[in-house]
Amino acid sequence: MLADFINPYHLQIASFILINILLAISVYVPLSSGQLSLGSAGFMGVGAYTSALLTIHFDLPIFVGVLVGAAVAGCLGIIIGIPSLRLSGVYLAIATLGLGEVIRVIFVNWESLTKGSIGLTGIPQMGRELLKLARNVGIEPAMFGLRNNQFVYLMVFVILLILVIGTIWFVFRQQNSRIGRSFSSIQMDEKAAESMGINITYFKVLSFSQGAFLAGLAGALFAHVMGYISPSDFSYHRAVEILIFTVFGGSEVIIGSIFGAIFLTLIPEVLRFVSEYRYIIYGIMLVILMAVRPQGILDIHLLSKFKRLKRSKGGVR
Amino acid sequence: MVLEIRNVSKNFGGIHALKDVSFKIQEGEIYGLIGPNGAGKTTMFNLITNIFEPTSGQILFHDTNITGLKSHKITEQGICRTYQNIRLFSQMSALKNVMVGGHCRSSSGVFSSVFRTKKQKSEERGLTQKAEELLDLVGLLEHKDTLAENLAYGQQRRLEIARALASNPKLLLLDEPAAGMNENETDSLYDLIKLIQSKGVTVLIIEHDMPLVMKLCDRITVLNFGEKLAEGTPYEIQNNESVIEAYLGREEDVEIA
Ligand SMILES: Nc1ncnc2c1ncn2[C@@H]1O[C@H](COP(=O)(O)OP(=O)(O)OP(=O)(O)O)[C@@H](O)[C@H]1O
Ligand SMILES: [Mg+2]
Repeated sequence: MLADFINPYHLQIASFILINILLAISVYVPLSSGQLSLGSAGFMGVGAYTSALLTIHFDLPIFVGVLVGAAVAGCLGIIIGIPSLRLSGVYLAIATLGLGEVIRVIFVNWESLTKGSIGLTGIPQMGRELLKLARNVGIEPAMFGLRNNQFVYLMVFVILLILVIGTIWFVFRQQNSRIGRSFSSIQMDEKAAESMGINITYFKVLSFSQGAFLAGLAGALFAHVMGYISPSDFSYHRAVEILIFTVFGGSEVIIGSIFGAIFLTLIPEVLRFVSEYRYIIYGIMLVILMAVRPQGILDIHLLSKFKRLKRSKGGVR
Repeated sequence: MVLEIRNVSKNFGGIHALKDVSFKIQEGEIYGLIGPNGAGKTTMFNLITNIFEPTSGQILFHDTNITGLKSHKITEQGICRTYQNIRLFSQMSALKNVMVGGHCRSSSGVFSSVFRTKKQKSEERGLTQKAEELLDLVGLLEHKDTLAENLAYGQQRRLEIARALASNPKLLLLDEPAAGMNENETDSLYDLIKLIQSKGVTVLIIEHDMPLVMKLCDRITVLNFGEKLAEGTPYEIQNNESVIEAYLGREEDVEIA
């Protein structure tokens, strides 16, 4: 039976993987135009708090809260992106990391709104709302032979999966177009790109704010999956973790970010049996990778090798 | 008048890279800009494309003042350049490099790019087709899928020209296109530039290869230490005493260096 295969614990990990994929892509997109942003944790927090507060205080439906949360983060990305144009490389990384900390400190200190470091609780949960919705139209989990909590986790997973696939599709399509060519030309040689008639201000701010939007989206979803958030969820630990997804998996190709997010979210879970030591193993793995393969696991050359392999196999037949 | 340089000066800190230089380029000309190393030739290109703003003076394109216009706007107006130290998008295929050159002659935004509207599709087809034509023009069509960084030096120079042409320039700026080319390549470069001229593009060329310059150019300006030393036809320049003394006479030294 279906019910035997659905393990809420596994589904929850899968949901975190999906959120982490969004976060990894939020680093990847600005990077595709040469901007190393560590602001994702901050933008994630903005999305999370915006959506949480809107749904708690104004009773807005979750999907409206999530959209507004992502949009607010995206707009903040535009506002931050413009002055950041003067910065590049590590300087931009440090500035955006600082920005994230500023945002976190605001969450800690604006107690009347954010409840300070305790954080917000009682955020409407996506799964429960979906269950309510289903029941309103006369659908019961039992009709599929599912327990309530199985149904809830499954619905969350499915919604996140749709959003993630949509996002990957969007980024992929955009990349193979005039917009994507502009991004990568700026990444490879900003001055030459400008000489070719590319408005680098526009395209850099565009990619930066797209990253902010995605991080905000991921944050808002995170809030409604967890049901509670606090400033420490969006600290610089998170910023670095997100960066590592992208760098570990390979920052040159979107598939690298996806792979990095999946692999690095799974590893601590898989290594649960060695408990305390798992983060040591995680750390050692990163050190070895950076020494051996600084461009990350996946890169263009590796992918084209795969492609050729596939093609030649098809040809033999 | 395609381009008019009017009393242009440029100081870098204490260095006077250009001092009160003026000249005019007519429609359809191939115009040469020559002079010893450090004379300020590349600086002139950087001012025309507004990588830097001139300290004083004006630059007019088709009789409108373009001084201080953003670089990408200048390309839109119809001026495009190549670089002395090749600046291709090294990790992109040759074809994509040229397609980037067509950026300002296309308009698809995020929405139409992601949803692949009819207009976007036909625009992409047009860009691809034009890029292939230009690659064919510079003799690189068979290398269209090769990454720019994997092309030979002379091929990279020609790819830069194709990329610049993709922006439909009325004025093409070439910064030492023959540098590092062998005799055969230089000969085909001559043919290429003549062909570009025949398509109605005005060309301003910086070049140290004197036989090429004298054969190619309709008129020439000679710069020396940031100042205009002489202007005229190749014949006039070759017989100008001060040019021979400052530049042409020292050609053997240049070759050794
Ligand atoms: N960005 C800059 N900052 C400071 N000085 C510069 C800059 N660009 C050029 N210069 C100086 O201006 C002078 C002219 O340089 P420019 O590159 O225009 O010479 P050039 O005529 O192109 O020489 P070459 O034949 O070697 O290419 C040189 O003294 C150079 O050092
Ligand atoms: Mg030069």
